[in-house]
Amino acid sequence: MAVTLTPAGTTRRAPDRHHRGVTRWLVLAAVTLAALLMLVPFAVMLLNAFKSPGDYSTNGPLSWPSEFYTRGLVSYWREADFPVKLWNSTLIAGSVAVLAVLVSLLNAYALGIGRVRGRLWIVGAFLLANMLPQESLVYPLYYFAKEAGLYNTRLAVIIIFTVIQSAFGTYLLASVLGTFPKGLLEAAALDGSGTWTTLWRVVLPNLRPTLAVLLVFFFIWTWNEFLIPLVMLIDNETQTVPVALASLQGDRLMDAPTTNAGALLSLVPAILFFLIFQRTLSRGITVGAEK
Amino acid sequence: MAALATTGLTACGDDDGGEGADATSLKLWHYEGANSAMGVAWDRAIEIFKQEHPNVTVTFERKAFEQVQQNAGMIINSAEGPDVMEYNKGNATAGLLSAQGLLTDLTDEATRRGWDKALSPSLQTTARYDDKGVMGSGKWFGVPNYGEYVMVYYNKDLFAKHGVTVPTTLDQLTAAMDTLVAKGVTPLGTAGAEYPAGQLFYQLALAKADRAFVDNYQLYKNPVDFHADPLKYGADTFAEWVRKGYVAKDSASAKAEDMGTAFIAGKTPMIVSGSWWFGRFKSEIKFNWDTFLFPGNTLNAGSSGNLWVVPANSKAKSLAYDFIDITMRPEIQALIGNNGGVPVAADATKISDPKDRKLIEDFNRISSSDGLAFYPDWPVPGYYDVLVAGFQGLINQSKTPDQVLDAIAKPYADGVAEIKRG
Amino acid sequence: MASTDTLVAPPATRTPTPPGRRRRRDLTWWLYLLPGTVLFALVIGVPLGYTGYLSLTRWSGIGDPTFIGLDNYRRLLDDEVFWTSFRNTLAMIVAMVVVPTLVGLVLAAVLFDTIGRRFRPRTAAALRAAFYLPQVLPVVVAGIVWGWILRPDGAVNGLLTAVGLDGWRHDWLGDPDTALPAVMGVMIWVQLGYPVVVFMAALQRVDPELYEAAEIDGAGWWRRFRAITLPQIRPETFVVALTCTIAAMKVFGPIYALTRGGPENATNVPSYFAYYTFFKKLQVGYGSAVSTVLTLIIVVVALLFIRAQHRAERRDGGR
Repeated sequence: MAVTLTPAGTTRRAPDRHHRGVTRWLVLAAVTLAALLMLVPFAVMLLNAFKSPGDYSTNGPLSWPSEFYTRGLVSYWREADFPVKLWNSTLIAGSVAVLAVLVSLLNAYALGIGRVRGRLWIVGAFLLANMLPQESLVYPLYYFAKEAGLYNTRLAVIIIFTVIQSAFGTYLLASVLGTFPKGLLEAAALDGSGTWTTLWRVVLPNLRPTLAVLLVFFFIWTWNEFLIPLVMLIDNETQTVPVALASLQGDRLMDAPTTNAGALLSLVPAILFFLIFQRTLSRGITVGAEK
Repeated sequence: MAALATTGLTACGDDDGGEGADATSLKLWHYEGANSAMGVAWDRAIEIFKQEHPNVTVTFERKAFEQVQQNAGMIINSAEGPDVMEYNKGNATAGLLSAQGLLTDLTDEATRRGWDKALSPSLQTTARYDDKGVMGSGKWFGVPNYGEYVMVYYNKDLFAKHGVTVPTTLDQLTAAMDTLVAKGVTPLGTAGAEYPAGQLFYQLALAKADRAFVDNYQLYKNPVDFHADPLKYGADTFAEWVRKGYVAKDSASAKAEDMGTAFIAGKTPMIVSGSWWFGRFKSEIKFNWDTFLFPGNTLNAGSSGNLWVVPANSKAKSLAYDFIDITMRPEIQALIGNNGGVPVAADATKISDPKDRKLIEDFNRISSSDGLAFYPDWPVPGYYDVLVAGFQGLINQSKTPDQVLDAIAKPYADGVAEIKRG
Repeated sequence: MASTDTLVAPPATRTPTPPGRRRRRDLTWWLYLLPGTVLFALVIGVPLGYTGYLSLTRWSGIGDPTFIGLDNYRRLLDDEVFWTSFRNTLAMIVAMVVVPTLVGLVLAAVLFDTIGRRFRPRTAAALRAAFYLPQVLPVVVAGIVWGWILRPDGAVNGLLTAVGLDGWRHDWLGDPDTALPAVMGVMIWVQLGYPVVVFMAALQRVDPELYEAAEIDGAGWWRRFRAITLPQIRPETFVVALTCTIAAMKVFGPIYALTRGGPENATNVPSYFAYYTFFKKLQVGYGSAVSTVLTLIIVVVALLFIRAQHRAERRDGGR
């Protein structure tokens, strides 16, 4: 594998190199500009994360901070026991990401490669997990978790989101595997591998970039989930970052600067996770390169 | 499925002496900010409790308002809930839980410990609920520590600059606003996307209202005609104020936070809002400011603050009563008052800051003259969003007052019918 | 999406299998489905049935539900707010499906084909990260920040004044006519990164030789886009379009954080309506009916989608 994309770029013999040179810079400039526009709201958030409440109230959210104010953030960090929330969120989002990818892979293998009969309906049924509005799950899951003794445990949230996320994963992977090159499978069968070996030796390596994408998505989606963790995790010891952030919004008052600062903190792990997998995401891999 | 459907109703605790007097831990929840008046006062109350109960471990957790508001029923219906917690007052919250038997009846404690003497009758309204969960009569299910009311905050510097004096009647208020409009200043800040617009409307309606109207509207004693005064007057006047430019026409999307920060920034001369801003304004405003009661009104939007409630599943009820009792002591009440809150049972002379004292004296005046009229969104669950949508229509001038009254009358009637059905 | 100019449609290789062998084979494959199915039954199947039951009751969320038959559904038929909220769903589909998928396709192709190959892949990766970042931001915070940008004295109006377009200043989220477009804009911002990332990952599956060959043949960017990119990543395109459609039909968080369905219900959506019925009006039975109907509608749309996808796959030669 690892057929990287760079050689293709450098070994190109372009007859109209000069013309292309201008266009490609224009394209780069346009895309970069668009990307910067995407980041404007983050700049606004950053601007307010280190403002004193008085400064924010007096000068509004768009002014330059008059001092680098971190007291709110520090006291919030201690007050909310933020490291615990970070750990809870990481544990939940991380477990869900791994488990949901695994479940998706197994499901999709049976559906996409195994071509189980009625697979269309099975995929549709699994997708239900994705289609149900979450608020309708709240009451049933509450009673269910209570019966099972899982109310107020992180395990409950992990199980729930493993199912919800793997619905998406099953669908995506089954679709991708539907177009999996027959030749590779036949070659594996000729070598005498069973389905189990084929899954890990042939299918998995070829799916790696897609699985990495799923891992990133699942982690980040679960990281930002609010409603179900809010219902299921009621103790400060089990709560996640978004729920802790919500405690800054009172009945009638809110603490905007600290919310921004807290949000910045909550972004860090998710972004780190994304960046770590950037490499996997960009690793060039071509079907058949593993042969 | 059948097992899931039975929700395990817990009967309210029969007092058989086993009220958890020998419990060794107290789990306590509230959702007030650490620097707010209540946050500060209750921290002190916890300290006192620990001194007086050296063998008890107190687990305090600050909750997200949203979490308690949305899931309180689920939480206290489980074994994971707290032993004592802050909870919203009103029919849709404390009333509903009490009717389902999820809260402990505090009537005996209230008489024994004198809470019934400390709280004025109009404050007791929100502490007591009947067997359908309607406030105003019946058993005690909660104890409020503080009060709140809606008033006018004004920027003294801007008033002086534009030659406006503090109005004492509604006519004087309109005249003052005319002066400001003539100088190109929008006199009144409001926020259409959240509670402020609805409260302004309610204040205006209350100008023409008496206690009988409040009882009808809030306690369903008689049907309410939305197309007659006081509600008609409220909507008409609100629309007129928008037309005359007293209220900014681009405030439909504004949130309460926007209204508050605009006032703190000195951009608006006046806002009509509640005492919950007081502490924040005191610490953040740099110009001269003060408050006055909504001119001419004998009734004002306001009520007791949130309640201390003891879930029926509490494993340390008697400790919970002790804690509530501490919060009613003069020391804690004074602490609430000295930090910009409105204590329910404080000696106003013990309050050092003159501005704080005035806030409390004004409240005591309203409360003792039976002038608390609660809030417009209280009568039926989910009414808040209905009112917000209605008054956005008036601010945007996309609807007439009559259309808005129609739009808010139906959900009210439906909601009341639902409640009466039990 | 034209499927006719597929460069690499392999010939149909479908060999009939004897039925007996097939059943046994299926059984093996079902073992792979077992963990997923059990979890699904617990977390989705049972609650789904329970919600269906609750939709036939009157219940405030505590105590015992009262069975009332189909009353909730009858009431739903007359509920104007519910049905008008579906009109806004169409707008959400434009903002969360149509625009992000189309723009995402072009962006992913540009990032992969032009920027990734003409410049360094790292440049493309950095740009991709920038487009993806909005997906990472907690939606509550995104709501606060966008509120600051769009409010009457916010950044957008400030910018308009700065460039001399004072007359264009507007209460973007307050005016019922502009609130929906403003929310749509925010949704595009939130959603765009998702298709970009999926499509770029998809493009990595594609054999680079295809592009090189096409380029040597003198195919321009657009021709390569249509002839290689689109057909090669069609599975992902379907997945993105379907999942975005589902997300658009049950969108909740951004609406809750930005407008709470206002002004005057101009941005109300079915899922917010359901949430409000569940948790603010405390009518869990009615809320269950709302979400059951919503689920049914989503299921129908999704099934149509999956069938279309299945047909397209078949047409391509039963790969």
